Amino acid sequence: MIGVCVSAQIARTEPHNPEAGLGERIAENQRRVFQIAYSVLGNSADAEDAAQEAFLRAYQKFASLREAEKFRPWVNRIVFRLALNRQRDYRRRLARDTAWQVTETPVMVDGAKDAEQLVMLDRLRREIERLPEKLRSVLQLSLVEEMDASDVGAVLGIPAGTVRSRLHTARKLLLEVMK
Amino acid sequence: MKNACEIWKDQLLEAALTGSLTAGLEEHLRTCTICSEELGNIRARKARLDTLLPFVAQRSEPSANFRAQVLAAARAAREGKRARPWRVWRLAGATAVVVVVLMMGLTLQRRTARMIPENELAAAQKLTEWRAPSDGLLVTPGQEILRTMPRLGESYLDVPVKTDEEE
Ligand SMILES: [Zn+2]
Repeated sequence: MIGVCVSAQIARTEPHNPEAGLGERIAENQRRVFQIAYSVLGNSADAEDAAQEAFLRAYQKFASLREAEKFRPWVNRIVFRLALNRQRDYRRRLARDTAWQVTETPVMVDGAKDAEQLVMLDRLRREIERLPEKLRSVLQLSLVEEMDASDVGAVLGIPAGTVRSRLHTARKLLLEVMK
Repeated sequence: MKNACEIWKDQLLEAALTGSLTAGLEEHLRTCTICSEELGNIRARKARLDTLLPFVAQRSEPSANFRAQVLAAARAAREGKRARPWRVWRLAGATAVVVVVLMMGLTLQRRTARMIPENELAAAQKLTEWRAPSDGLLVTPGQEILRTMPRLGESYLDVPVKTDEEE
């Protein structure tokens, strides 16, 4: 009886920990994955929810995602899609609710220096929202750390050259409107 | 910006973004103070945009316990998944019971619905005349046979045969 208990204990704690591999992948990717969600959603709480969902989905099909090189593009793509879905739901709710002004307070932006900058950032976000979807996606993904043109292209299924030219157009449009 | 200078608008933006002027724009700027001033404005805007854009995504990171949270959720999901098979069996069992009950109900309904044939009526009659099991032990269906069984010393072969003598 004691022997059974001990071996059960070992099985639970010791060498076979199914989440061990996932922990590693989270450590390597969490910052970027979170930022992708954040660039779309604009607040930490929602971004964390989307990022967590992305990692849990990755975990479900972890057998095929064990290698880091496969994991990275997969999780980038999935978190971007999850964030877009959330944003869509959010906009739908916003359109339904009357008190829509209350929501987009950019107070929790880390590192933003002063009130004026916060106001400008709020305006910038709204202008990004107004960009054509193709340009907006490229811009949002390109603003994430460690995401070069080919990473962005992998998420969106377009060549790196297209990413660069769309990014340029997006910045030009923003430059025009952010007076 | 004057209406005549509208044609330079795109090139001014490009100049601010890329940091290089086309020969044509350079030429125009030499004579147009309005466009020169505008280029200064756009460059300032560009600098502001460059400081703002990183805040859209960069400079943000998940909370310190994010990884632990995801791992806990993954563990919970895995344990929930393992528990699922027996839940499935329970569901299957319940479904089977429901199906059997439905089938029985249907059969019964069909039986009572149609005309009851005579032999079934007779069987039903017998059911009403059913007696306790102890009675059954005394009265067996084999009674008739038992009565015709040969007694001790007799033989099955001892069958009454019509003989000429008897006739
Ligand atoms: Zn001019």
